[in-house]
Amino acid sequence: MTRYIIRRIFETLPVLIGASIVVFLLVHLIPGGPEVVLLGERGSETNVAELRARLGLDRPLYEQYLIYVGNILRGDLGRSVAGNIPIADELRQRFPATVELSLVALTIAVVVGVPLGIISSVQRGSWIDTGTMLGSLVGVSMPIFWLGLLLLWIFGVALGWLPFIGRLSPNVEIQTVTGLHMVDAVFTGNWSGLVDAFKHLILPSVTLSTIPIAIIARITRSAMLEVLHMDYIRTARAKGLRERTVILGHALRNAMLPVVTVIGLQLGSLLAGAVLTETIFSWPGIGRWLFNSIQGRDYAIVQSVTLVITFIFVVVNLIVDLSYAWLNPRIRYE
Amino acid sequence: MAKKLGVLLAVLLVLTLVGPLQAQEPVTFIWGAYTNPVQLYSAVVTDGVSFFVLEQGCESLLAFDGATTNVIPSLATELTANEDLTVWTAKLREGVTFHDGTPFNAEAVAFNFNVWRLTDHPLHFDSQVYEYYEYMFDGFDDASLIQSIDIVDEYTVRFNLSRPYVQMPNTLAMPMFEIHSPAALEKYGEDYGTPTVGYVCTGPYKFVEWVTDDHVTQDLWDGYWGEIEGNVERIIQRVIPDNAARFAALQAGAIHGKENATPEEIALIEASDDLYYILRPSLNVFYLAFNYRIKEFHDPLVRQAISLALNRQAYVDAFYVAAEVANTFLPPLMWGYNPDVPMPEYNPDKAVELLAQAGFPNGFSEVTVLPLDDAGNVMLDAEGEKIPLTLFWMPVTRPYNPDGEGIGQAMAADLAAIGINVQLENAGDWATYLARRRTGDLIGLYQLGWTGDNGDPDNFSGYFFKNCNQPQEGYFNFPEICETLLQAGSLVNQADREPLYQQADAMLAETVGRITIAHSQVPLVFRSNVSGYIANPLGTELIRFVTVE
Repeated sequence: MTRYIIRRIFETLPVLIGASIVVFLLVHLIPGGPEVVLLGERGSETNVAELRARLGLDRPLYEQYLIYVGNILRGDLGRSVAGNIPIADELRQRFPATVELSLVALTIAVVVGVPLGIISSVQRGSWIDTGTMLGSLVGVSMPIFWLGLLLLWIFGVALGWLPFIGRLSPNVEIQTVTGLHMVDAVFTGNWSGLVDAFKHLILPSVTLSTIPIAIIARITRSAMLEVLHMDYIRTARAKGLRERTVILGHALRNAMLPVVTVIGLQLGSLLAGAVLTETIFSWPGIGRWLFNSIQGRDYAIVQSVTLVITFIFVVVNLIVDLSYAWLNPRIRYE
Repeated sequence: MAKKLGVLLAVLLVLTLVGPLQAQEPVTFIWGAYTNPVQLYSAVVTDGVSFFVLEQGCESLLAFDGATTNVIPSLATELTANEDLTVWTAKLREGVTFHDGTPFNAEAVAFNFNVWRLTDHPLHFDSQVYEYYEYMFDGFDDASLIQSIDIVDEYTVRFNLSRPYVQMPNTLAMPMFEIHSPAALEKYGEDYGTPTVGYVCTGPYKFVEWVTDDHVTQDLWDGYWGEIEGNVERIIQRVIPDNAARFAALQAGAIHGKENATPEEIALIEASDDLYYILRPSLNVFYLAFNYRIKEFHDPLVRQAISLALNRQAYVDAFYVAAEVANTFLPPLMWGYNPDVPMPEYNPDKAVELLAQAGFPNGFSEVTVLPLDDAGNVMLDAEGEKIPLTLFWMPVTRPYNPDGEGIGQAMAADLAAIGINVQLENAGDWATYLARRRTGDLIGLYQLGWTGDNGDPDNFSGYFFKNCNQPQEGYFNFPEICETLLQAGSLVNQADREPLYQQADAMLAETVGRITIAHSQVPLVFRSNVSGYIANPLGTELIRFVTVE
């Protein structure tokens, strides 16, 4: 197992390097650099040229790349073009926001999606099954911004029950330990802060969970259906085991393999793809930051955030693979 | 474990429904912004979101008065010039201190200007862009309009200029030239103005905290030299990027005010008892530019025909909350505006006639692109390449242009009615659009606009049309207009300058060198418990006049 883990970790290095090169080239090849965005309507020929020189954009691409990589290796992510803000500081602040939102959304998705999938597989063809499948179709196809605005308007404006801007109310403060507000509030015994953070999480995390709920429910259902036809299930039933034990003990354990994969992949895409949800609910996370930085051609930010996201994808994939090998030892030797 | 989680969730739900007990909070004004400030250092930013914060806490030597562009004293009580306007002397207000307790004096003023002016100053960082210093004062070091700064005594400072500069009072009133604490600039260096540091100035509010993508907080400062007319003790600017969510936040009472509203939102605001809006006076222009690499555009009849075909009033009615058709490039609020220039006509029949006179009885959908010579000027007599005529629309919303694509479609339909068929193109995102505009690659008709910076017309039509000797935006080249504007910019007396700007305005309208469409007013929306907000055409608005009930 150890050798397998080490081998897999080494395999991820070229992926990271490749990703950094691709990202670097892509953002530099799009027309219109940061100097143009910065100067806006007022950008004259000479202003733009001077600014390019000041930002180092007049150097050859490979030189810019080497400087960038060198800085990263020294732990310096650089400063944003607009605002000159240290990127590492920003990343430390925004990354936990996205992690917290994604984890809560994924938890909702697993807690709702897995049971739904099990129930509809066991009661195949029943109204619950039809309803779940129909619901998951709607969940996958509904545009996030539409659902988000709908929830925001109903629960935030019309009923006035829940806040929908940011992570905390303006005058509430939570001391930072991990950066995850709910966890930090518990650590510091800040109960009113905990409530406030929790309230702020409800609408965005529910919005963000709809697509993963639908996907997890569908995968669980089809994996379960496949397993339920197996001989050992018939044997288990024939032995006179309780149906509950058959489903949860025997069938589910074996059906979990593809479900684990999907949950892992969902976490990756939630972290990277929360752009719309973060925008609608003014959530100060990295998805929105990345999107804005692409628009502003803020190269250093785009590169750093993309690298972080790539890194997460790689790590999540690694964990999924390792859990595979653990669930099914045959995989290790293939 | 699952049970414990369940209990925790149940407790949270109950607490959620009960709600936390509210402590006594300061009178707070919450403003909804669509994005973060870029940085909280006036000299290196240009965006309205940064200045919304900076204006509350920082001050320039002079200031713009309330709802006008009139210049009034601020940190300087008096600004006088010698006869030829090359030496300007400022008398400073005494007894003013910065938020960090250090004194405001002539040394502090000279320090700030020297940081901006001198590229070898240890605090003049390459990574920071002193864009407006460069732009308003001709450049840095030897090129700088400000050649030297004398500290005459503790409260008197003298600026020695390289040429007469009539815009000096207006320029010194710009928020880009707010005076920051020299001690703080030295202490924080390159980090000054970033979220961890904020600003240290002399204004009525002081910086408390900036959580990026979330909020900026400022609190009333008890050491302020001036008077506070309103009752706001804390200002919070919240970042709400989504337009619909920002309006929802206003409806729900989570913010007290925001800039901009769509016509649909205006209808809701008018029907609501809780909301109202005011209009910011216009200091902008939205135009449709000709790229003069296209041969056909050199024919005044063609330009005239295109202008006559556009139904400007219809665009104003359909797309803007509040705007007026632009008869000239300068907005009516700006001195130098020429009220006698007739409103542009909408007359498609006459347009068809003019097109026929110009040799296009059936209109056209293809145009000829002329090559450029080595100096980058259009070669008028050369052979050109035929391309389809394109109309480029702006991919972003700007105060002067609320809907580039919609207005583009309306323009295309109007032009089709007189036989001119255009292809609509968005040219990519804003960065790409601007880059192509700059390099002259928006070959066709294209939308763009301008918002005045300091209330002086040299910063408006002068910026665009007075550089006779180099290729200008869209290869615009009308020597008469150019010379008039150049002359107006070289004179010292407003009374002498005004008729020249009026004349240039009229010439531009008559030759249709560029098609002016509209001057727009931006709506500012508030909850009805907010009063006293004074909309300023330059967007420099002060919360110290605001009362929240």
